[in-house]
Amino acid sequence: MRIFLEQMLNGLTIGSFYALIALGYSMVYGVMKLINFAHGDLFALGSYLGFTLLVWGNAYVTSRIGLAGGMIAAMLIAAIGIGLAGIIVERIAYRPIYPAGRLPAVVSALGVSIFLENIIMVTWGPRYQAYPVSVVPTLRFEISGIHITLLQIVILILSFVLLAILYYIIQKTTFGAAIRASALDRDTAALMGINIETVIFFIFALGPALGGTAGVMVGMYYRQISFTMGWNYGLKAFTATILGGIGNIPGAMLGGLLLGIIEMLGSAYISTAYKDVFVFLILILVLIFRPRGLLGEKVAENV
Amino acid sequence: MKRIKFLLVISVLVLALGVASLGVMAADKPPVVIGLQGPITGALAYEGEMAKQSCEIAAQLINEEGGILDGRMIEIRIADDAFEPKAGALAAMKLISQKDVVASVSTYGSSVCEPASNLYEKFKKVNIAYGATHVRLTERGLKYFFRTCGIDSAQGIFFADYVPRVFGAKRIAIMHDNTTFALGVAEETKKALQPKVDAGEVEIVYYDAITPGEKDFSVPLTKVRETHPDVLYFTGYYPEAALVVSQARDIGIDCPFVGGNAAINDEFVKIAGIEKAKGCFMTQEPMPAELPYPESKVFLDAYKAKYGEIPSSPWPVYAADALNIIAYAIDKTGSTDSDVLAEYLRNEVDGVPGVTGPIGFTEKGNREGVPYLMYVVNEEGGFDIYNK
Repeated sequence: MRIFLEQMLNGLTIGSFYALIALGYSMVYGVMKLINFAHGDLFALGSYLGFTLLVWGNAYVTSRIGLAGGMIAAMLIAAIGIGLAGIIVERIAYRPIYPAGRLPAVVSALGVSIFLENIIMVTWGPRYQAYPVSVVPTLRFEISGIHITLLQIVILILSFVLLAILYYIIQKTTFGAAIRASALDRDTAALMGINIETVIFFIFALGPALGGTAGVMVGMYYRQISFTMGWNYGLKAFTATILGGIGNIPGAMLGGLLLGIIEMLGSAYISTAYKDVFVFLILILVLIFRPRGLLGEKVAENV
Repeated sequence: MKRIKFLLVISVLVLALGVASLGVMAADKPPVVIGLQGPITGALAYEGEMAKQSCEIAAQLINEEGGILDGRMIEIRIADDAFEPKAGALAAMKLISQKDVVASVSTYGSSVCEPASNLYEKFKKVNIAYGATHVRLTERGLKYFFRTCGIDSAQGIFFADYVPRVFGAKRIAIMHDNTTFALGVAEETKKALQPKVDAGEVEIVYYDAITPGEKDFSVPLTKVRETHPDVLYFTGYYPEAALVVSQARDIGIDCPFVGGNAAINDEFVKIAGIEKAKGCFMTQEPMPAELPYPESKVFLDAYKAKYGEIPSSPWPVYAADALNIIAYAIDKTGSTDSDVLAEYLRNEVDGVPGVTGPIGFTEKGNREGVPYLMYVVNEEGGFDIYNK
């Protein structure tokens, strides 16, 4: 029971990373019908931006505004920076080729992914980089046999707050309704007076911004980052998106959390070596038996 | 104008010939040429450069003593393999095709060494590896292949003897990452521990692999924790080692952490953080600074005089010893024939003093008795020999 609870907690933590990244995939797919394969690398770029800020001037930021301040500053900078990067990517790599159809855009997304990965390698070097210990809380405690770190709690709370805010924006505000309407039917939404341009701008800023924040969280949680990390997290988050129902915002959140838990419990009770197998087995099963995902309304297209 | 140019060319040629013949005249005997194949460029160029410098110092020391075979000087010919198996084969061919190259010091890295040594074997040229520790290399029955560096199994034997004895550890957890190297060390350790397991002195409570490149080890580490080990031995590489130790401490594994000879370095300390890195142990070949032999002192003094600092990794000095033992064998046998040399190295060389201690080879071509030491990470993130 103790181990079960501990693994649930670990699963929720990595699940919340997946959920935050998955939202970017889902929002972009919902409105654009485009799988943004560059999203994972935007996430990695966010991780590196946070890293640069925190190690800059020998933890100058942390020493001035404290541990919590440094963490929040890093996440904010990563969110803003990656939000901007997302908009730039859309302008340069996607917008000019929309008229050519959806497949060229996917190829372009793959190109952006390779481009970003190499940009990171050239800028920060091919070696592993490490978030210094001094910029993250190291406190750990034991509650009736369950080991948990302060950082884990902070990450869980922060990501749930972010998920809740996004949920509120999408489901309860007028602008959220506009996004959902665009996802349902772009042309009709445009006829109803919804400014599609603004919606696209917004999702390409918000999705990557959340991904960038997750990048900083992953960096702080594992403290080790590499320029290739975007691909793996990208694939997992993409699986989470499919699991929850692509294009569906609450679905992406649910899919991410579920995937994290499945991954952890699977490796705890079956085999660690098959950790990634569980994830991609789920992708295959969902695609075969329930292609629209758990909460999805529409059938996911093969791309 | 044309005529002047022609004359100029002729005079330059004459001059060049003259200088060349002068050179030949100056050295009354032709040099003995020994090849050095190593990563002179590429990702591990640092290692290659130190190996080159080490061989040059070793040759310089021999030449200052009057060379070998009654006054013949040693000359080193370099072939760059860039730490790539393909380039390694080309570098080997480059040295093989030069008829005056007697034997070769070759090379750093098991994966590069393997194809290269096959070529040396095919063309019958003695080659001595200085940084290729995989067990399989000497299991292929090669006649001309030797190595001055250690072998992965020796590390396991060292661990099996040292840890139960010095740490008093009874419950041992072994973790590897399924790479050929790490699995090799783990298996050899398990094998070496077996007699003690049979005698009931120790128990291997955990033996499993993690996935390299993975970042989250909380699940395997939870399993390790439930076995209540006295010591955790991780035989993989430093990126995972740092995360393993960091996450192990977070979930409440407080037993000593021992890393293999690829697990702990400056990067490990950086990633794990000094708080968690200090007090971690590693099983490792002696660093050059800690070599206790008179030959080491002479060598390192000469190296330092020329390059300012002694080599910062264990491997370059093994390259120097590879060169030393080739020179020694040529001198003693009076021959540069590959068969004579290989025969001599395998059967006659025993306890010849070298920079890294007495040199001798087993039937398979392994170095006899390479010492291992237990190092511990100190408060500043440096590495001290653990004396207890």
